[in-house]
Order: sequence, then C-alpha cells, then structure tokens
Amino acid sequence: MARVPHILKLLSGPEDIGRSWWFWAVFIAACVFMLVYPRWLSEFQATNIAYYLLNVPIALGLGLLWGYSGVLSFGQVAYFGIAGYTYGIVAGNMVGDDFGPIVGSLCGIALCAVVAAIFGYFVFYGRVQNWIVPILTLVLTLLLETFLGQTAGYQWCVGSVQLGGYNGMTGIPGFQLGSHVLMGYDFYYYVLISVLVIYLGLRLLVNSRHGKVLLAIREDPIRTELLGYDIRARQLVAFVLAAVLAGISGLFYVQWGNYITPSQVGLLQASLPVVWVAVGGRESLLAVLMSTVALNWLNYTLSSEGYQYALIITGALLVVVMLFFPSGIVIALARELPKCGLFGRRKGHAA
Amino acid sequence: MDSFATIVSVIYQFATNGAFLLLSAVGLIVILGMMNIINLAHGVLMMMGAYTASIAWHRNVPFWLCVILAFIVVGIFGAVLERAIVRRFYGRELGALVVTWGISLILSQGALAVFGPFLPAIPIPGGSVAVGQYSFSVYWLSIIALCGVLIAGLWALYNHTTIGLQARAAMQNAAMAKALGVNTDRIYMLTFSLGAGLAGLSGALFAPTVSIAPFMGQQFVAPAFITVVVGGAANVITGAIGSSVLLSLVKTPIGFVFGAFVGTVALLFAALIIIRLMPDGISAVLQRHIDRRNRFA
Amino acid sequence: MSDQSSNGHTSNTDPTPQPGAASDEAKADRRKVLKLMGAAGAGLTAPGFGATYLRGFEYTRSVQAQGNSPVKVGFIEDESGNLSVYGIQKLHAAQLAVKEINEGKTLKGGPDIGAGGLGALGNVAKNPPTISKDGVSLGVVNDGGDKSTEVVFDEDADVFIDSGDKGILGREVSLVSLDGQSNNALWQQLARRLIQQDKVDVLVAGFASAEREAIRPIVDQFKQLYFYTNQYEGGVADANTFCTGPVCEQQVIPVVQYIVEKFGPRGYTLAADYNFGQLTAAWTKAFAPLVGGQIIAEEFVPLSVSEFSQVIARVQQAKPDWVMTLLVGQNQQNYYPQAAAAGLKFPMASTVNMAQGYEHKRFKPPSLANMHNAIQYQLEVPTARNRAFVKRWMAMFPEDQYIGEMAQNTYFTIHLYAKAARLAGTTDQATLKKALELGWSIEAPEGSVFLEPGTHHCAHYIRLAVCDENHDVKFVRDWPSIQAWWLQRLGVNLVRHPEYKQYTPDEDPYFKMFLKKS
Repeated sequence: MARVPHILKLLSGPEDIGRSWWFWAVFIAACVFMLVYPRWLSEFQATNIAYYLLNVPIALGLGLLWGYSGVLSFGQVAYFGIAGYTYGIVAGNMVGDDFGPIVGSLCGIALCAVVAAIFGYFVFYGRVQNWIVPILTLVLTLLLETFLGQTAGYQWCVGSVQLGGYNGMTGIPGFQLGSHVLMGYDFYYYVLISVLVIYLGLRLLVNSRHGKVLLAIREDPIRTELLGYDIRARQLVAFVLAAVLAGISGLFYVQWGNYITPSQVGLLQASLPVVWVAVGGRESLLAVLMSTVALNWLNYTLSSEGYQYALIITGALLVVVMLFFPSGIVIALARELPKCGLFGRRKGHAA
Repeated sequence: MDSFATIVSVIYQFATNGAFLLLSAVGLIVILGMMNIINLAHGVLMMMGAYTASIAWHRNVPFWLCVILAFIVVGIFGAVLERAIVRRFYGRELGALVVTWGISLILSQGALAVFGPFLPAIPIPGGSVAVGQYSFSVYWLSIIALCGVLIAGLWALYNHTTIGLQARAAMQNAAMAKALGVNTDRIYMLTFSLGAGLAGLSGALFAPTVSIAPFMGQQFVAPAFITVVVGGAANVITGAIGSSVLLSLVKTPIGFVFGAFVGTVALLFAALIIIRLMPDGISAVLQRHIDRRNRFA
Repeated sequence: MSDQSSNGHTSNTDPTPQPGAASDEAKADRRKVLKLMGAAGAGLTAPGFGATYLRGFEYTRSVQAQGNSPVKVGFIEDESGNLSVYGIQKLHAAQLAVKEINEGKTLKGGPDIGAGGLGALGNVAKNPPTISKDGVSLGVVNDGGDKSTEVVFDEDADVFIDSGDKGILGREVSLVSLDGQSNNALWQQLARRLIQQDKVDVLVAGFASAEREAIRPIVDQFKQLYFYTNQYEGGVADANTFCTGPVCEQQVIPVVQYIVEKFGPRGYTLAADYNFGQLTAAWTKAFAPLVGGQIIAEEFVPLSVSEFSQVIARVQQAKPDWVMTLLVGQNQQNYYPQAAAAGLKFPMASTVNMAQGYEHKRFKPPSLANMHNAIQYQLEVPTARNRAFVKRWMAMFPEDQYIGEMAQNTYFTIHLYAKAARLAGTTDQATLKKALELGWSIEAPEGSVFLEPGTHHCAHYIRLAVCDENHDVKFVRDWPSIQAWWLQRLGVNLVRHPEYKQYTPDEDPYFKMFLKKS
C-alpha cells in the first residue's frame, strides 16, 4: 500500500519540470483535453496530430540519453528504421493473422535492443571518448542507409515481403487489436495513450535511484565509478532503452503511414531528434515532449503553406536557442515564469 | 606491360582515395585538434569554397587564383563565425556540434534559396595521361601533389613558426600557455579560421569534379568524419596522414575488386574496428610511440 | 440496349438522326457506329456538351452540383532539396498548362476509338505523293538518297488550339501546389492533406519512384485520380494511377539496338544502386542479347559516391565497346567530367541523362561527348510544334534554363485531364477514370502520345539523341510511336481486372526464356 504514495512521490521528483499540485492539475487537464479534442477534428487532422505525437518516444529516448546520461547519439534513427523494417517484414508475412502486428512489434523492439546492446558494448566497454560517440552512431546510421538503399533487387525479399531499396517497403499493415485495425481516430488514441504511458514511466525512472546514478555519471563519470558503480553497464542500459524508444517511434511511424524508406535513416532525419531535444531542453522530459510536438507542427505548417524556408527557420531556431537559451527554451521558461509569481510562491524550491 | 599498367593504376587509385580523404578531413582535423570541437558545418564550408571558386572562375579569374581566393574568403568567414558563435561553446563539445549543425542548415538552405539549385560547373583543368590501357587525369595527379605541399606547409607552420609554437602550447595546456603570455583567444580564432579556410580550399579543389550545388558538402561529411575519428586529435599532421593512408589501404583493393559499394562499406567497417582498437585514434598511438622514442633519445 | 438519349441529356448536338422505334439489329448496329463517330466528332468540336456514349453517366446532375467552384489540381513536387532541379521545371509546366486552360486553349487530341498508334489526327500531306495509274514503278516517299527533298507529310505545327471553354466546363482551374522538400514522410502528409482536406479533383505528383510509392497507398485508400508523369522503371498496374512518362521498353531497347549496331556488342553497365538503376540494368542485361549485344559486366554505384577513379579504372580494365550509364542524382553525374578528364573515350548509352537534368548544358564539353539517349522529349526536339511550345514557355518563364522531359509530360498530362473532363462533362473522379480508359491521344510537344486503356500507360514518340564533342545535340533516328507493351504482355488489363501493385521483371518469365548462353 505504501507503494502508491511512493510512486506518486517519484512522479513528482525533482528531475523534471513541475512538481506542484498546480502543475499536475494543468497536466491532467491537458490530457483530458487531448482525449476529447478529436470531437472537433476531422480524421485527417487527428492523423496529423498523431504524426507529431509518434515522434515523441524517439525524442524522449534521446533526451534520456543525452540530457540525463550525458551521451549524445546522432544515430537514434537507425533504430527507428530497424524497428520499422522488422515490423514490416514480420507483420507483412503474417497478413491475415490477427497476432501479426503484435508479433511484429515485439520483434522490432527485440531487434533494436539486440543491435543497440552489441553496438553499445563496443562503444561503452571500449571506453571511447565522449565526443566520438555521436560520430560513431552517425556512421552506423549512414551504413544502414547505404545498405537499405541498395536492396532494390527482387532477391532482397524476406518471405513474401520485398525490402524495396530506395522505393521503400510499401503495404505495411497497420496495428491491430484483435481484428480491428487502428486507423484514423483509433490510431490517434493508441499513440496518445502510449506516449503518455511512456512519458510517465520515464519520469518514474529518472526520479528513481537508477536515474540518480545516471545523473551522477553525466556529471562526473570518474567519481561515480570510484563510488563503485559500473558506469559502462549503466550507460549501456540507458543506450538500449533509448534505442527501444526510438524503435517504438519507428513502429508507430510504419503503422501510421504503412510505408518506410531508407531516407528515414538518412543524415537529415538523424539530426531532427537532436534539434527537438536541444531546442526544448535536454534536461527535462516534459520539455522534450513539448518541443517535439511543437517543432513537428511548425515544420508541417511551414511546409504545407509552401514555405521553402522551413529548414532555414529550423536551423535559425536551433542556433538562437543554443546561443541564448542553452538549456532549452522550455526549461528557460520554466525557470523564469515562477519568478514572476504566476504560479504562487513555493518555499525555496525551484520549479 | 598489362600487369605493370594495372599496378600503376592501383597505386593511382590508392593515392586518389587517400588524397580525397585527406582533403576532405584536413580542415576538420585542424579545428578538432586545437579545440576539440566537432564542426558539423564543415560540409557547408566546403560548399562555400566551391561556390566562391565557381563565381570567381566565371568572372575569368585563373583557376589557381580562384582556389586561393576560396581559402581566403572562407577563412574570413570562419573567423567571423568563431567570434560570433563558436567561441561560446568551448568546453561544451556537444553544444558546439549542435550549433554548427544549425549553421549548416541555415547556410545550405540559404544557398539554395539565394543561388538556386546549382551553379555553373568549372571544367576540369588539364588533360589525361595514359599508361597501357589505363588513363589518368592530370588534375588528380596535381591534387595528390598538392596534398603533399599542404602537409609540408602545415608541418612548417606548426613546427617552425612562433604562432605554430603558441598553437601547440595552447593545444597541450591552455591554462599554462595563457599564463605564459600566449593570447589563446587569438590562437583559437586563427585556428578556426585556418580550418575553415582549408575546408574552403578543399571545396574549391573538388569543385571541378562535382556538381556545385547547395548540398554538395554532404558527400564529404561522412568520409571527413571517419578520417578524423580514426586519426584522432593528438597530433594534427600524423593523424591526418596516418588515417588517410590506413583507410585508403582498406578501401582501394576492396573497391577495385568488388566495386564501389563494397568499398564504401569496408571503409565504414574498418573505421568501427579501428576505433575499437585505438579509441584515441591513430595519432595518439603514433604520438605515444614518438614520445617513447624521444624519452630514450 | 437502352437508348442513350433516354438518359435526359440537356442538349445534344449529335447530328445523326435519333433512332426511332425498334429497328432490326444491323440497322441499330450501324446507327450505333455512326452515333459513336458523331459523338467523337461532337466531343471534339463542342466540348462540354457533346453527347457521351458511355452508359449510366449522371453527368448532368454532377455538373449542376459542382456549380462554379474551381477545379482543383493537386500538385506535389520537390521545390527545395536535392531534387529541386527537376521539381521546379515540373511546377512551371503545371503553371503553364493551367494558365493555358484557363485562357481557353488546349492541345489537339481526342479519345481514340480502336487500337493505339499515331492518334486520332494523322499528318496532312502538303505534297500528296501521287503514283501514276499507268506506272508500275513504285514511287518512294522520302527515301534517303533519292532526289526528292521536299517534305511530303507536313508536321502539324498548329496543335495549340482553342478549347471553346473557359477553364474546365466553365470552372476555373486552380493549381494547389505543395513542396515535398525531398522528404518522404512529408510527401505522405501532404498527399493526405490534398486528398482528405483540400479534396483535389486530380493529383499530379511524384518525381522519384520512392515518392510515388509513398503516396500510392494513400491514393488507393481514397480512390484518388492520380497521374504520375515521370520516366520510371515500369510495372505500376494501379486502377487509380495513370503513368504518362516513358518506361524501360520504350527507351532501353531502342538505344541498345542502335549502339550495338554502331559500336559493337560488348557493353558495360554503370548503374545507380537503387531500384530504378537496378531494374533498368536488368532490362538492359535481358534485352541486349536479343538485339545482338552482350553486357560483359555491371557495376552498381551507391547514390552517395561522387569520386569515380576506381570505377573508371574498372571500366578501363574491362575494355567494352560501349558503356551504359544509368547514373542518377547530383553526386553520380560527376562521373562524366571525371571520366572525360581521365581520357575515357567509350561511347555511352543512357536513358536518363540530357533529357532530365540537362547535363550537356551544365557540364563543359566534352564530358558528354558520344552520349546516346533514346529520349521521348528534350528541349532541342526540332519540330515546329515544339518550337512553338518552347516559345510559349519562355514567354512565361524567361529565366528557365531548360525544359526537361518530365516537365513536358506534366504539361500535356494536365491538358489531357482537361480534355477528358470536358468529354465526360464532369470532374467526378470515378467517371473520369472511366473516361480516360477510352484511350486518348494528344498532340504533345514531343509528338503524338497515346494513353492506353488497359495499362494506363502511354505510347510515346521516341527519338535517338546524340551529343557530340561540342555538346550539340543531333537526332539521328526516330520511332514515331513505341507502345508500353510490357504490362500488356503480363496480361494487365485494368479495365477488366483492377489491380493495385507494381510488377517487377522477376515476375515475367520471358526475360530469361530466349537468352543465348554466352
């Protein structure tokens, strides 16, 4: 029975923005709003919002890895792609079987974890310098993209599913609960609830003892090691977790669009999660969540209104944020706003 | 005669692969070695060098002058960039990575918006030379020679000038160097400017062989980074040379026998393995070797 | 057989007499044929009100329901990003076509009754060749070497005519154009937006096959009428999609045949390492032996490679008679200046260069010397109608440097859509798909193009273009009409059996059936 208040205490821990009752009230109100919002939306708009939301897990994973563990990985999209393609292959071969999508999803996640574990082993147990990790992960991503891009021939098929090379893998089945395929509004709810659960779960994690050790590693790896913690193993675990989260985003993506190409693991795509996390603020999961949704919305709105300057604006935003709000816009706001007395006074705690 | 020609051809391929990697990476290594900053805007700086060369060439400036002009223009731009933005990120490598990526986005998209999808091409100077059934481009031969000159120039700069001495001091121990009166701020700016200038120089040299387009830098980013990572930051010159030689040794025979794709994959794999074996890069290994020898000298 | 006139047409300018009461079958058949011809004629002369002989059209009601809202042409291309060099041309083509339609202009053409071929309109003989009734000697028209140098059959310059309509069916055409930014996920979002939210009447989109495949499932989900106007590797059999670009059988075989005749049988293929490159290379490899050639080696170059010295060395080692270059994208085009600088002098065959990315204008001579391409269109096509088209284009876009084949395809496709809509009397998509499946011919700037009913692909006018050392272009051979026969051989008939897939050569046993063992 004492577990419940313990969990609530963890949720409200200091490692993320927002602890007061006020905050939680707003948070719950926002969740309720998101659940009810589709009433006023067309199916197309709901599907669009689902697209913004499905990018949140990969960003959260990167936020966990970079903000909370101090390791920057430029290649999270590699796992996005691995999960997407695996799901496509497994579920595509099990069309007609109601368990196909579930099995496919599990296989996708499992493969991401395995690849991340192997790669992470080489990186963390080799004690590679910190600045090399982004480059190595980027190299892995580019290698994957090159490999997938040349799988155009018909010999590149697994079971009955073609890999498709640069044309991509089409006709990927959507996610099913029982025999009901989740599309449109259903898909929106599926993604929304999953993202909420993931976010709250991660919040629990970073406030737990485990999370504290990760923070210690970020601050001073040598000291943490001297205190007796195996930092290599812990960093590996964080890396694998981030990869799994990226894989979940990949699963959502193919279930949204029924299609995936090698360009999803290309250079430009690889840099997007970094942009989202940097702009929002890497040291807070909530900031990452908000900035991911906001930036995806911005990019789509600019692009669909015909502005070629969408990428220039994204780049400019990135530079401005790194210069003037180095800890991220959302975190900076979160620090400044309470000082205006908007949220009432709290005794001595920073928000 | 045939096998002789084949041997010459293989040597030529080895040299061109190495020169390509070296030129792609040299600007990046200079900056990395000094300030531990990964400059993700490297590709865009090369693009700027190529653009400068193209614009100058089409105003009837002789090619060698275009290349020098590219070096100067991009070098100045690098200095401005360093002053305005990059210097706030010393010590924060990951932040520098991200902000330089943002800069590269702005510049490449901006180039597209301002100049259009591409600039008119520069013809490759020089003709070709034949040995047996193979023929080789004179231009690439001169690029290979130019690499040698460049390395010699850098070596002279670092080992025989005062600024080079100060730079090496700042690389080894910035605080001490500052205490001894070295203006580290100026050194950093000059180094970044040199690195940018070298990137522009490489871009201008590659310009006749590629399409001069806003995203042309991307094709050099991956090879440059791999070369830099394998080379390491301990010593700029040995890192650059050692890395290009080693990687080219891997890529050339495999690419010749199996084709371009397998060659690229082999390069990437080799990089991963070398990093695992020598996490601080080749230059660190060579540096330890040199230090050990000096100790017993 | 119910009488069409009982459907309640508003007006009927059909000149044939209305059939009265029951007549015997022969008479009814003949009358039906006359009526069809009349309908075709009426369709050509009085668009919008011509009687349609396709049954069951509630077109009157839909015309009234559509009222005066604009006809929306949805358009997605890459206006920024790597593929913008092609995307902007296509955008300009669409804008030109829409402007011309709104000004009441169209291209000559009409639905074809019967088999494909040169189209509803043949060429007019300026100097009709006359063979005397007495002589038995056979006069020969236009025989090279003969003393006669006069053009006997006139190239019809006047294909740009009034449509008699302002816009389509009196409604203005508006182009809703979006920028895909060379990003596949964005393409999907934009396609959904155009289809679900803007509810466009027709979608014209896609450069790379990857982009087409990204949006085709969405098109099929909502049964959107979709035109894909690019050259591609062939095989798309989709009831909602009409592919108006050329395919492998129309370009690979003519160019290989020519180059084998001229230079010898041994060919070396250099292809981009992705779907289009691999499939086109497979076609080349399968068909070269059938025309006397042989591919001695193939190399697939990743799209990211831009440094070709090793590739060049391998080509030199193999010593072929000619090289088939299927190189795509900014990085790979660098092969040409590098090969020229390295002194490579092999004749080259291609189906992709010059006509799309105008390399012969962008690279300095002699990089593209001895390049042969079986093109369906490029700016230099030397006919009167093309000169007029180029003039109209440059009047609207004076800064443009080139008009490539995809741009021309986009241009005539939108005109074709307008003609089909006028014939059908509606922009309802299901009706229009049926109207397009009549089989259409249109006098495009390249020549006569015929849209085949069963395969939804086009028969094109193919010319062999050769680029010399000064990068001047010569047209040395032409084939007035080559059909897209591969899908026919596969048994695709979308009129009878709608499908929604893309075929690959793997599914065609003929590819390997008659190859000689080399």
